[in-house]
Amino acid sequence: MKVSKKNIATILLFLVPGLLIYTYFVVYPVIESGVLSTYSWTHVADKKFVGLDNYRATFASSLFWKSVKNSMIFMVSATTLQVVIGFFLGYLVYLQVRGYRTFKVFFFMPTILPSVAVGFIWSRIFSPSMGIMKPLMTAVGLGEYYVSPLADPKLAIAAIILAQVWSSCGVQIILFNSGFMNISEEVIESATIDGAKGWSMIRDMIIPMSMETIKMVIILQLVGSLRAFDLVYMMTTGGPNHATEVLPMHLFVTAFKNFNFGSGSVIAVVIFVLSMAITMLMRKMLARESLN
Amino acid sequence: MTQLFKRKPGKNTDEEIKPSSHLAIGNKKTLVAIYIILGLFSLVVLVPLVWLLLTSLKSAQDLAHNTWGLPQKYIFSNYIDAWSRSRISTYMLNSVYSTVIAIGVTIVTVCPISFVLARFNFKGNRLVYYFAIAGMMIPIHSAIIPIYMMVGDMKAYNSLSVLGLIYGAFRIPISIFIMESFIRVLPKELDECAFIDGCSTWKLFFKITMPLSKDGIVTISVLAVLGCWNELLVAMLLLNKTNKKTLPSGLMGFLAEYTSEYTKLAAGVMIAIIPAIIFYAFASNKIEKGMIAGAIKG
Repeated sequence: MKVSKKNIATILLFLVPGLLIYTYFVVYPVIESGVLSTYSWTHVADKKFVGLDNYRATFASSLFWKSVKNSMIFMVSATTLQVVIGFFLGYLVYLQVRGYRTFKVFFFMPTILPSVAVGFIWSRIFSPSMGIMKPLMTAVGLGEYYVSPLADPKLAIAAIILAQVWSSCGVQIILFNSGFMNISEEVIESATIDGAKGWSMIRDMIIPMSMETIKMVIILQLVGSLRAFDLVYMMTTGGPNHATEVLPMHLFVTAFKNFNFGSGSVIAVVIFVLSMAITMLMRKMLARESLN
Repeated sequence: MTQLFKRKPGKNTDEEIKPSSHLAIGNKKTLVAIYIILGLFSLVVLVPLVWLLLTSLKSAQDLAHNTWGLPQKYIFSNYIDAWSRSRISTYMLNSVYSTVIAIGVTIVTVCPISFVLARFNFKGNRLVYYFAIAGMMIPIHSAIIPIYMMVGDMKAYNSLSVLGLIYGAFRIPISIFIMESFIRVLPKELDECAFIDGCSTWKLFFKITMPLSKDGIVTISVLAVLGCWNELLVAMLLLNKTNKKTLPSGLMGFLAEYTSEYTKLAAGVMIAIIPAIIFYAFASNKIEKGMIAGAIKG
């Protein structure tokens, strides 16, 4: 329809209030983060412009780079695990063996639980006093090698990644499943006539035909796990010795525990730029891939 | 991101579609293998939840000696203790309140915007659209410091309405993304007939477009519930009075307070997850569809 003199007032009334709320609470704060990152905020009273000093300080801080590294580890491992598990379980559900609906319900259930509950459950599972790992390792004679995963700098991040994968794999299963459902029947049928079955069906048909879904899940998952905060906060609050301090956790500590809002804003900008860059880079890389 | 959308959104087409019958598994061994894999993963999912349930029904001594077994005696008083000693009922009401505000803000802002963007041709239409959905890419962490300060300037810490408003604002981009594509596929002839009959834009919106968009509204609301109900970071920063906390932020405090009384903590966590489980039981289909439509999770 066309905009005319008669309805232009209504149209503006429909558009403007919502866009104002969105601009004020979502767009403006992101820009303001950029502005704040150039101010010194050690005492709330004396806020002064310091140019790029906060950036210099942040980029010279080893804790910052540690949190970047932790975030990368977290993103790559969580994404790989979730995409692989999501793909195969999504495929098995797609085969629709008897009772597949029940399995789908089971797999999806953890995704709706509050992360505080997930964190509680998994902290207990990993804990030395009540966890299941210690009795399991003792049973197979490795009891003396047991260390509490959440207390060990090397294992803690893996432990959180496992909890994260447990709690959100259901989404990937659903997304892959629905992607497979969209592959046209004729294509699968003609492939079957050509003799494709089992693994070769997956390799030669399902994977190429669901490239779009795979791409989308990878991008969503990478950006999603860059945002991971709740489970880290619940299970280790970034410790031991900053070993699980991912970027959002580092931001939380810097801004709201040490009250360094300037450096906190630098981290906020970094998170924003990273999530934009990852989305665009992955789009480009994966677009090229599907051309080949 | 729209690739999953080949079927028209909102239409009930994905029920009971079988994959090509040629994929039927003839081989018994393969079938058994499939069941074993599905069963193993189900165990991985269910065991922690069952453990939580059993722990919540044990006595403290029972738990210490028999961490992973069935309770020797089922103790329901853990639930009564957890309910009366924590403020879980208050937290739940607070969560309901802020979530309802968020849904209200989302629907009231998103429906008219999506309607205009999907139905009217004007210069800059796409510009407004991309501006509106660009927020989908914004992690809340990049905005949290200014939001914290803005709310401080408004003297609105501990205001559940402001929290709901912020939640709602962050739902706007993804909801426009879903709603716009939903309204776009409604038959255009409807608009034209209505217009010829002298229908005003208001009437067209309220009497024709909105009633036809019920499924879309349900989808964005379901996603809003999922996004807000479990939100921790913003709630933690903006609410510090115990009687104003939402379920996730309140539960944090509860866990910190009774650190060593695991059986009671487990009962508290069980109570806290019950609303989510009930919601899932009633809306599982809608939740799945919504997640596919939005293809995004927190």
